Amino acid sequence: MKVLKRVIPVLLMAVVLLAGCTPTAEETDTPPESKLRESGDVYSVYSGEITTINYLVTSTTAEFSVAANVVDCLVEYDHLGIVRPALAESWEVSDDGLVWTFKIREGVKWYTYQGEEYADVTAQDWMDAARYLLNPDNASATANIFYSVVKNAEEYYLGEIDDFEQVGVKAVDDYTLEYTLKHPVPYFLSMLTYCPFMPANGDFLEEVGDQFGTDHTKILYCGAYILSEWRHQDERIYEKNENYWDADNIHIKKIVSRYNKEAATLAPEMFLRGEITGATIPTASLDEWMNDPEKSKMVRPAETSFYSYWYTFNFDPNFPDEYEPENWKIAVNNKNFRKAIFHGLDRVSALLTLDPYEPERMLNNTITPKNFVAAGGKDYTMIGDLAKWTASDSFDPDLALEYRDKAREELEGKCTFPIKVMMPYNTSGTQWANESQVVEQQLEGLLGEDFIDIIPVGFPPTGFLNATRRAGNYALQNCNWGPDYADPETYTEPFYPDGTYNWPEKATDPAYLLEDGRTVYQKMVDDAKAEVLDIERRLELFAAAEAYVIEEAWVIPFRVGGGGYVATKLEPFASPYAPFGVSSLQYKGQIVMEEPMGMEEYKAAREKWEKDRAAALEAEAAAGR
Amino acid sequence: MLKYSIKRLLQSLVTVFIVITLVFLLMRLLPEEGYFGDGYDKLTPEQRENILRKFGLLDPWYIQLRNFYSSLLKGDLGKSIIYRPDVPVIDIIKLKIPFSAAFGLAAICVSLFFGLTMGIHMARNKGRFWDKVWSSYVVFINAVPAAVYLLFIQLYITGLKFRGRSIFPMLFNRHDPRSWILPLISMSLGGIAGYALWMRRYMVDQLNQDYIRLARAKGMSDKQIMVKHVMRNAFVPMAQYLPASVLLTISGSIYIESLYSIPGMGGLLVDVIQRQDNVMVQALVLIYSTLGIWGLFLGDILMAIFDPRIRLEKREGAR
Amino acid sequence: MSQKEQQVIQAIEDEALFTFAEYDPEAAERVGYSDYSYWGSTLKIFLKNKTAIFLLALMASLILFTTIQPYLPNQKSPTKIHVDPATGHPLRNQKPSNEYWFGTNVIGQDLWARIWSGTRTSLLIAIIVGIWEVGFGIFIGAVWGYVRQIDAFMTEAYNVINNVPTTILLMLLAYILRPSFRTMVIAMCATGWLGMARFVRNQIVIIRDREYNLASRCLGTPTSRIITKNLLPYLVSVIVMRIALSIPGTIGWEVFLTYIGLGLPIDTPSLGNLLNEGRQVMMAPALRYQLVFPAVVLSVITISFYVLGNAFADASDPRNHY
Repeated sequence: MKVLKRVIPVLLMAVVLLAGCTPTAEETDTPPESKLRESGDVYSVYSGEITTINYLVTSTTAEFSVAANVVDCLVEYDHLGIVRPALAESWEVSDDGLVWTFKIREGVKWYTYQGEEYADVTAQDWMDAARYLLNPDNASATANIFYSVVKNAEEYYLGEIDDFEQVGVKAVDDYTLEYTLKHPVPYFLSMLTYCPFMPANGDFLEEVGDQFGTDHTKILYCGAYILSEWRHQDERIYEKNENYWDADNIHIKKIVSRYNKEAATLAPEMFLRGEITGATIPTASLDEWMNDPEKSKMVRPAETSFYSYWYTFNFDPNFPDEYEPENWKIAVNNKNFRKAIFHGLDRVSALLTLDPYEPERMLNNTITPKNFVAAGGKDYTMIGDLAKWTASDSFDPDLALEYRDKAREELEGKCTFPIKVMMPYNTSGTQWANESQVVEQQLEGLLGEDFIDIIPVGFPPTGFLNATRRAGNYALQNCNWGPDYADPETYTEPFYPDGTYNWPEKATDPAYLLEDGRTVYQKMVDDAKAEVLDIERRLELFAAAEAYVIEEAWVIPFRVGGGGYVATKLEPFASPYAPFGVSSLQYKGQIVMEEPMGMEEYKAAREKWEKDRAAALEAEAAAGR
Repeated sequence: MLKYSIKRLLQSLVTVFIVITLVFLLMRLLPEEGYFGDGYDKLTPEQRENILRKFGLLDPWYIQLRNFYSSLLKGDLGKSIIYRPDVPVIDIIKLKIPFSAAFGLAAICVSLFFGLTMGIHMARNKGRFWDKVWSSYVVFINAVPAAVYLLFIQLYITGLKFRGRSIFPMLFNRHDPRSWILPLISMSLGGIAGYALWMRRYMVDQLNQDYIRLARAKGMSDKQIMVKHVMRNAFVPMAQYLPASVLLTISGSIYIESLYSIPGMGGLLVDVIQRQDNVMVQALVLIYSTLGIWGLFLGDILMAIFDPRIRLEKREGAR
Repeated sequence: MSQKEQQVIQAIEDEALFTFAEYDPEAAERVGYSDYSYWGSTLKIFLKNKTAIFLLALMASLILFTTIQPYLPNQKSPTKIHVDPATGHPLRNQKPSNEYWFGTNVIGQDLWARIWSGTRTSLLIAIIVGIWEVGFGIFIGAVWGYVRQIDAFMTEAYNVINNVPTTILLMLLAYILRPSFRTMVIAMCATGWLGMARFVRNQIVIIRDREYNLASRCLGTPTSRIITKNLLPYLVSVIVMRIALSIPGTIGWEVFLTYIGLGLPIDTPSLGNLLNEGRQVMMAPALRYQLVFPAVVLSVITISFYVLGNAFADASDPRNHY
């Protein structure tokens, strides 16, 4: 308990310091009103229409990106990724780490889509939101995130208790909110920036009933913007909420988004004609832009996401006999066999199908991506054994051939060669199909067609994952996972027993099993999960578990999501930065620049940002030691 | 005729009933995973169950079917479950239909006018220069994939500039009539080619008929022959398709609407099928099939009016 | 009585102009005999059309070429990814050159080989589906149109099948069978004949009550004979045109199926696959060749079949025979 007691105030102090220092410095230099920077409006086109803006139900990024800009959370992240107060002015946590008390900002109001005042934002709104969220009839897709930490919430959701008063969320008075957790959660603050922890006005919920969030007139606004118009598959218009508590940090006054099913194809051209503020440049036309002296000045990389992709070895094959599942079962349980493929996969070649210009940028050498969490001023991927993997590329043809020879020796007589490797892909797009062909030919070329026979098999998008990964109907497959909260624990779920990924608990290697029936990996994760007070220690334990998965070649870490290239006038590194939650989707702090940023400029800006962030993290850490 | 019409209308109810029931059952054959989208792995089994319960998918299929029909009898098409959760289907489509219908009807008028004119022009100049010019157009439109030439039209024509300003905006804007022109043209191109081809074909066919020779022989002017004989006969097969295509304009054009961002019905059905929004699928199929069947029926009637030789009903003595 | 008429009467009366011929049995036989043969005349007229002959030769050689292309020297595999020996990375987006005649695609496969392989696949699908569509469609359509007793039932069945959205059937089919050549053919055959059947039915409804059919019926001609001898020949020209249109139609369908993820698997390139891939790079002028080459080959094929169909339709119309 002692450590938590120490960590939290430190966080608080850092936050207060950061929040306190910056404005004071500026106040002395310039008059306060100039803090509001000049910015044009944002015009954009999008192709994926959202289905709802009911932020208490949805779990889709596109949908909660609306909520991110129109409803505020208790806390938020600044552009360096440091937690700052938002609707909560301050907070404290009990000695046992179970009770979190938030002091709600006074004077914040709910507005209708026409900008009319509806009510005050009070602590009751978080209770009402929770009540809505935990009502099974509303079928919220994020309720589990809430009830995985808040006391009695799961019991209430499952109908085991009827009394909502027993659920660990309580409005002590109008401006004091108290969460009681079922166990100490060191990353609780990060969870607060996700939609299930957003407020909602109870009277309004009652008023609109099941129509909550079905369109822009059916929600209330307390965030930086008001969605003044939303015509489905047509147009969305956000207008700045002039009464926003932090209005000085909102520079963009209006955001107009037009729907276009072919947006991906048309956007670059529309950007060149000045009709929109920014566009993603499709992979196919990237060379075109990069080789054009004028256009190349406007392109810059887009940020990668925290979705992590890896090629996964299946330990519980369940595919048709034509792909020889029994043979695969013997082969996959041979570590040298896995290592041969692990070191044989030329990930850069495969990535060229996605990013032909700078594929290395999207490479991910670990399961948890870089910049996700840090402790003691050190990024998680640089802790312990993970540092070794982070520092090097897994592709090593010589090593791969060495492992191949060993594997062949050990498997000779037990397996039939070539070993068939069934590799499913989704037929809905061309990229995955292309990647599969590249991987097939590259691996077979290196390891020999007499050793392995990679067989890409196309499955339609209808029920894709249920037909392939979840059914164990694959030998090797590109799988992915996105984080649910800012802690490495979230990336252990796929490999933990009862996952639906590759069932390493069914591996036959006796070295993987402990006497108590648990697997070695399970124990490592359990131990790490139990460490809730010493954050540094916690991350070390998780890093060890993750390094174990990589060392044993259960998966081949491949890439992160997002990425690609954009031509945009939107300022990078000015909006909130967060590995998880809604903060990073906000326009807060951003401006529309006169000219788009080019490659070099972007790199310089990125370097500066990384330095600033490292300093900020260190300051935070140092203040605590 | 009246008795026949009533019989056909009653029959259409039966057809629609069978179609809807079939679609209802087919949709339930699709995998359950489809109802959860990408978030499947992040949901607990209880959540999945609650979501299915909310959609009414936990009941046995016959209960679901009964519920569907009982609310349909009350005039309730239901609420969307995935496309726009909890929004009544009627509210969704009533915003979209006007756009599709307006563009569709305008395109039918444009293509009928230009198509028929072109067809007549071709038939009259059969084998000569203009016939060949228009034929190349027809061949081009029919043979080159629409996906390609439509995209090229948008790409190049919207790039045209007059005194430094684009003449045609790239996207549809309800307040700017200039932006209505290109979608309308794109939508009519195929229709013009189609009507022109039919018109030419039938005109050429009819011009070879004996009764035309007779009309010529008895000294009717070409114009009279055209209007009184050829046009009328050539119109008969077209009459069959016209009502259905007018009624089905509300279903919109998948490709053009998406290209120009017209917020119409185009592609809605494919979209909701792929997202497995059962309620939307059922409602749309109900509407489209009703209109389609009525269109066919009206087409038969129209055809019988234009060509008295066609008998739709079984008559005494006929086999 | 006008002067002109008087002149005519006078001429008739003038015996010098008209003399009696002697009866000649052989000559009488010749008048009653006609060397008119329907298919012979059709062929004769068709052969007069120079464009059609040219296109026919073109298509024949194209089909021959796609069949033997893989066995010609210096041909590359359509699925092999070519790798740059210097960097070890795929040779992506290579412009057309001596080595790669049509360039390479976004992952470094030879476009020339892909286009011919794709043409082979697509033509094969189009032909199989076309034959089925014509055979089955005409059969159903003819019976439906002529036999009044089943008209109500057939119309009902048509309405039902026609109104169940094809997308649902295709999704279910792909879900059950997985995308493959076979699935594609089954999917297209399952729905493709409907249009043809409806078309034939309407044509037959239009002409079934014409006097000559009535006469046949009075004479007790069996239904099957009336359909095959009286009705179908009349329809040959329009049906042939329909077939010509069904080949571009089938290929268009294939593009759509590929678009919604129910297309052919990657190891079988098709014109639909290639167009879809090309469409994604069409905004980049330097890469537009990846769209243009398949689009041109596709257009040549579809335009040829189209013009051929029209020429044949014209030739097969007995009223154009002389």
